[in-house]
Amino acid sequence: MQRDVGSLPLAPALRARLVAAGFQTAQELLDTGPCGLSKEIGISKEEALEALQVVRQECHSDATQTAGAPGTSRKCTALELLEQEQAQGFIITFCSALDNILGGGVQLTKITEICGEPGVGKTQLCMQLAVDVQIPECFGGLAGEAVFIDTEGSFMVDRVVDVATACVQHCQLIAEAHQEEDHLKALETFSLESILSHIYYFRCRDYIELLAQVYLLPDFLSEHSKVRLVVIDGIAFPFRHDFEDLSLRTRLLNGLAQQLIIIANDHKAAVVLTNQMTTRIGQSQSTLVPALGESWGHAATVRLIFHWDNNQRLATLYKSPSQKESTIPYHITPHGFRDVQPPAVTQNPEGTELNPRKRPRREEEK
Amino acid sequence: MAPKKLRRARLSQELCERLSRYQITTCQDFLCLSLLDLMKVTGQSYRNVQKLLCKVSLACAPKMQTAYEMKVRRAVNPSSAFLSTSLHGLDKVLHGGVPCGSLTEITSPPGCGKTQFCIMMSVLATLPVSMGGLDGAVIYIDTESAFSAERLVEIAGNRFPAYFDSDEKLFSMTRSIYLYRELTCGSVLKRIKSLEEEIISKKVKLIIIDSVASVVRKEFDTKLQGNLTERSNFLARGASLLKYLAEEFSIPVILTNQITTWLSNGLAIQADLVSPADDLCLSEGASGGGKRESGSVTAALGNTWSHSVNTRLILQYHDLPTRQILVAKSPVAPFSAFFYTVEKSGFVLQETDSE
Repeated sequence: MQRDVGSLPLAPALRARLVAAGFQTAQELLDTGPCGLSKEIGISKEEALEALQVVRQECHSDATQTAGAPGTSRKCTALELLEQEQAQGFIITFCSALDNILGGGVQLTKITEICGEPGVGKTQLCMQLAVDVQIPECFGGLAGEAVFIDTEGSFMVDRVVDVATACVQHCQLIAEAHQEEDHLKALETFSLESILSHIYYFRCRDYIELLAQVYLLPDFLSEHSKVRLVVIDGIAFPFRHDFEDLSLRTRLLNGLAQQLIIIANDHKAAVVLTNQMTTRIGQSQSTLVPALGESWGHAATVRLIFHWDNNQRLATLYKSPSQKESTIPYHITPHGFRDVQPPAVTQNPEGTELNPRKRPRREEEK
Repeated sequence: MAPKKLRRARLSQELCERLSRYQITTCQDFLCLSLLDLMKVTGQSYRNVQKLLCKVSLACAPKMQTAYEMKVRRAVNPSSAFLSTSLHGLDKVLHGGVPCGSLTEITSPPGCGKTQFCIMMSVLATLPVSMGGLDGAVIYIDTESAFSAERLVEIAGNRFPAYFDSDEKLFSMTRSIYLYRELTCGSVLKRIKSLEEEIISKKVKLIIIDSVASVVRKEFDTKLQGNLTERSNFLARGASLLKYLAEEFSIPVILTNQITTWLSNGLAIQADLVSPADDLCLSEGASGGGKRESGSVTAALGNTWSHSVNTRLILQYHDLPTRQILVAKSPVAPFSAFFYTVEKSGFVLQETDSE
């Protein structure tokens, strides 16, 4: 109620007039009433009423925040956060080594960035995650939906069909092994068709379409509340050419990062971005570094770098607040993203609560 | 693709006039401003500005489709999703052939057969759909003056003797291949920009650019300062224009590139490829100091370009006359290699049991 007039979200011209007329706090405005305001400032009664409504809404939301109403307030204790984090699910990648170094999989409410050379498998992982987020809860998944924003045009529906078919088969094998009722019930709705219908695809051709889409994303996510994954495949591509003004680029990227963090938190979704590598020319040699500059490195919470070592693809966890840096090998098979060799898992007919999705993997050839 | 004017975003007339006083006339300018700047220029409250932002974004944002709708659309017209290369093993691995709607790159040392491949694909694109073609015209942008019409007719006559049984059919095939000779980067870019109208009027189903590398490397010497960024800009702009055309009209685009080898002190010589992984380790110089002593082979044109193409096929020498074609980068295919020879009828795959 004692809020300063200059801080209210009114039109700037109106604000300037109120301050010039001598109003100091929001309470004063509310006490004056619309007719008094219109006479003193020289605006119409309707405009005065509109302004007062804005002021009243602002003060109301301020009051609920100080009263500590749940949901709108962003304060909570670390214990509450710990409970939330432990109850939260992860999006698995079907490569158990990668899930392990990530601490369980791709985390919700965080931004994960995947950098890598061309052809190393970034888009493959994104397509795998878009399918994996939809795995039903009884199989250890999140039963969510996915938004796929494509700026490079590398999304191939046929490949997603392959990956989704393999995932459905995997779940069917688990259901056969364990024969529980909710497994079979979940399988009825978990089919190739339903997986594909719940991947929402946007093709953004330049950075303006990308900016516009991210502005519209909160409304879209409110309508489709089951979305748990937002993938932006190729955040670097639209920003890497046609930008003479680098400071504009930095500002736009920072704005994007902030909006994505808000989206990730508000809608409890995981945001996955893929980035390109660029050559940094040093004095004597050049190295490959993630594109978009140093300041962009702060945007993501978790950073994975994919690279080659002779013929083996490797994934390195480069930045993470909770896991230590490590490198693991992975494979891309006709069924999608997988481990290099089958992990040594023993047959586990009972006790499925811990890891219902794990079963001994057959070695895929090719 | 000029940026959209604000008038077409359904903003009110007086608002557009007010914004034009601040030199904000397109959606691009509008979306690049921060919220506080927008409040200042529009003179509206915070909430109203957010609503305006949503309105302008709606005018610019792409349409949503689900993956299922995309699959159904492809299933309705399966033959239009790929252009078959008529090389059976290669088609199988690529799930049908050269994909429509994305960029495919053919890269090789000189003399391996890039231009032959391009000529063969031109013939295939003009074939009717029942024979695996796209029944359309071809735009061939030639920067090396390597295209030979006689060779085109020879390949057509020998590969499909049953179809091209009369001169009349051969001539009508050659009439639907439009050849453009461009010798500088600027003219190539200009030509690509003009393609949109040509594709509609001539019913084009395939675009070939042979070769991107030769014209770019003639003009940009990467050792000179500033040339690297200019080259990347040119390539990125060309790539995004071509991608737009490929997706908008759902046609394949084939580009050719060259191979270079970089030793650790920067000399470029010719070398044989060992495996596709070597190709994908790109570095303009040695990265990591000496990890690759024997010299890594890379496709020319650098990093940005390699990110832009979706599929990459590499041709290389094996034991003459046999050569090898490798699938190095593809969203749908794993690494594969096939042996082939170049005959009168174009490429002929050799059936080996190593496949």
